[in-house]
Amino acid sequence: MDRRDFIRYTGLAASAVVATRVDRAQAQRAAADAAAATEAQAEAAAAAERAPGRALTVAPGGQPAVITPNGATLPLRLVNGVKVGHLVAEPVDHEFAPGLRAECWGYNGRTPGPTIEAVEGDRLRLYVSNRLAEGTTVHWHGIVLPNGMDGVAGLTQPPIPPGETFMYEFTVRHPGTYMYHPHYDEMTQIALGMEGMLIVHPRRPRGPRVDRDFALMTHEFRLDVGARRPDPTEMKDFNVLTFNSRVFPGTAPLLVGRGERVRIRFGNLSPMDHHPVHLHGLWFHTTATDGGYIPESAQRPDTTVLVPTGSTRVIEFVPEELGDWAMHCHMTHHVMTQMGHGTPPVTGADMQRVDRRMRRVMPEYMTMGTRGMGGMGEMEMPIPPNSLPMRGAHGPASYVDMGGMFTVLKVREQPDGADPRAWFQHPAGTVAGPADAAQMRADGVTAPAPARARRASADEHTAVTREREAPSDRQSTER
Amino acid sequence: MRLGWYSLFAVALVGCTRPSMSPDVARVRELTGVQRLAAVADVEVDPVASEEAHRMLGEPLTADAAVRVALLNNRELRATLRELGVARGRLMQAGVLPNPTVEVELQPERNSRFELRVEYDLTSAILAPRRARAAAPELTAARFHAAGAVVALGYHVRVAFYRVQASEQQLALAQRMLDTHAAGRDAARAMYAAGNVPELNVASMEVAYERARITVAELELAVATAREALHRLLGAHGADTAWELTGELPPVPEAPSIPTAVEQDVIEASLDLRETRERLEGLARRAGVARTAGWLPDIAVDLHALNGNPEDDPMGSSGWRFGGGVSVGVPLFDQQRGTTRALQAEFDALLERFYGQAVDLRSAAREARNRVTSAHARARQYQTVIVPGQARVTQQTLLQYNAMQVGIYHLLQARREELEAQLAHVETLREYWSATAEMTALLAGKQVEGAPRGASTMSSGASGAAEGH
Repeated sequence: MDRRDFIRYTGLAASAVVATRVDRAQAQRAAADAAAATEAQAEAAAAAERAPGRALTVAPGGQPAVITPNGATLPLRLVNGVKVGHLVAEPVDHEFAPGLRAECWGYNGRTPGPTIEAVEGDRLRLYVSNRLAEGTTVHWHGIVLPNGMDGVAGLTQPPIPPGETFMYEFTVRHPGTYMYHPHYDEMTQIALGMEGMLIVHPRRPRGPRVDRDFALMTHEFRLDVGARRPDPTEMKDFNVLTFNSRVFPGTAPLLVGRGERVRIRFGNLSPMDHHPVHLHGLWFHTTATDGGYIPESAQRPDTTVLVPTGSTRVIEFVPEELGDWAMHCHMTHHVMTQMGHGTPPVTGADMQRVDRRMRRVMPEYMTMGTRGMGGMGEMEMPIPPNSLPMRGAHGPASYVDMGGMFTVLKVREQPDGADPRAWFQHPAGTVAGPADAAQMRADGVTAPAPARARRASADEHTAVTREREAPSDRQSTER
Repeated sequence: MRLGWYSLFAVALVGCTRPSMSPDVARVRELTGVQRLAAVADVEVDPVASEEAHRMLGEPLTADAAVRVALLNNRELRATLRELGVARGRLMQAGVLPNPTVEVELQPERNSRFELRVEYDLTSAILAPRRARAAAPELTAARFHAAGAVVALGYHVRVAFYRVQASEQQLALAQRMLDTHAAGRDAARAMYAAGNVPELNVASMEVAYERARITVAELELAVATAREALHRLLGAHGADTAWELTGELPPVPEAPSIPTAVEQDVIEASLDLRETRERLEGLARRAGVARTAGWLPDIAVDLHALNGNPEDDPMGSSGWRFGGGVSVGVPLFDQQRGTTRALQAEFDALLERFYGQAVDLRSAAREARNRVTSAHARARQYQTVIVPGQARVTQQTLLQYNAMQVGIYHLLQARREELEAQLAHVETLREYWSATAEMTALLAGKQVEGAPRGASTMSSGASGAAEGH
């Protein structure tokens, strides 16, 4: 029996009172889940709102400060014309989403580290203190600077010993979207979350002024179900795919206004994977990379931007349609947090006989996935603590069975006063629903055979199989 | 006067030696602490099994009940108990006074009608009490021997019972393991039918299942064999072989029960040593009798009566005339030295074995202690660490399965490993309880099979109780 069938049949077999209680309990649980999911996103959004330093770095030309959802901006002090900041490399107790924490490494108590915002021509003096147990450096990814400030251990500098503080100082001469990360034992340090974005606003604004400017660092971790530290030795199979080191529903939604011009800066410091980030309900232009601005003539409309590892991509768009729009990596495994790989596929298999066997071997077992895996996140079954396999969240319509590198772009008429926890209220007649039979007939659409008939066909096949298997099952040694 | 005293003593001794072996069986019960033994004293051999044993076999069987059944029903033990009668008979015979020889002669050549002569072997009469005294230890030894057989039978029944219990538990576990293989096979078939996996998966799972059936078949034979071994010990046949077990092998206690001075306790309790000591005593006494018989002249006295008087009319006169005589065999050449020497040598050889027995017993005590300690440690490790640990592995694998990290094959493998740990645990339980039974038997006085035995204990010198005379 499929696990969903089990739940359904159990409900049918129960008394009406019990069923009512179960339904009520499930409804309450679903409501609580939805509220929790919304709260998780709202808390993430609120944390982003509280990010310090936002007012300090408003760029020339009225360009808004960068918002780092679930993140923060590094405070910079102006000292004798030099903007001074301080990064502390240290272990971080990080929450990817409610129910999944890990011992990561990052900067200033977070992963990714705070976004550094500067303006073209600024002189930056960045102190880096090392609170790790091993050396580290910071490489300013994409910045053109003196060679000795490039942060490559062994090549341009010795590593910063544990407990020591090094100083980097350089002038940011080229506006753009950059990143920073260690270049000492980067396999471990980046895999554990040491990364951040560095934004250099142009002294003289280029292109149209934007109303919202977001920074999203894509990343990937290997965190085994039930483990508490990402595995830095993993080279292929990553199972926690993140925007700003968070997974849905822990990702803060991006709240924007209809008709506003929105910029999203994507960075990718994933160890191995590129991420095709797809936005629903709009198209956009890629306006810049970490190599600079793309001439308008070379820009093209897209709905998916491929963010290669070790690169940044900047997109700009003007949403026309109100709503809650999905934004996610289009690699399907990247939205299935901690989903295991290599398990035997049971999709379409008739496992009733196996279920009967397993009741003698392991009564707690239930077959999963014979009819697909869409409802896995809703299954009420014990799983290891500190894990989110196949977990999404309850949405306003039903369960959102995506997790990982997934977030919501919320387009509102009045974004500044809107509640980031609220779901979009669809105008009447604008939500897909069950088709009307009369309308189908009028339109000449014939529905496929009912599921029962298809099931009968499958059972017929199973019966033949059983008959073929029967002789060996009757032998005496099988009990 | 002296002759009369000896005769009276001999008669008294023989009179004390009753033909019934009831006291011998009672003494065996006393030595072994057993309440009920097969009724063999003054009872004829009955081909029908004990009614009480039959009734007990109709109920679920425990190890204690199995031992009780065997004590009533085991033919070999019954035979050993009946052999107490052999020693008792020999003892009776050893103390019997010699018969007088009566001779009647017609003697017309001596002018008498007939002559009546009664002759009595005085030397044998004198030696009869000593021979009876020399035979007495053999009866005592036979009692120790029978007591040892009771203890040994109890041990063998317990070990056989534990083997049946273990075999049945292991068969049940193997059948559950077979279920895991069947589930894996069916899963592979279902996935293959759905087009999800290649035929290789099905072939692998099917052959794994079929191989597992061989294991189950072997364990089925092991159960049947173990039951038959127990049947033989219980003396059970026919409908009496349909008994069922009660429960499973119990878990091991926190600490094994081993006396602090186990070697000393085993030596003090040993029925084998006491049996050998009695046989040594018997040999010493028999050597003494032979030595005495060697220097004691063969004295025979005779009394004769003559009817008629040759001085008178031999055929017409009547009346009895009496006379007597003594004949003395001079122990000039045969002083029983050969017999005495042989008995002394037999004594010395048995004494060597007696000391060897003590060495073996001490070694057996140490080995039994080692066996109990080791089996306890291993069983305890399985009981408290490995089996719960494997169960935890299975539980965690199930959680990982729920979290879609592993598939059904992985889950089934974890279950199989858990069952394998339980199988090994059952084997260590069987070892522990068998070793404990061995230790118990040792402390009850019997060195049983399982511990190595030296050549010294291969022969108890029990033969020839009636020889050498």
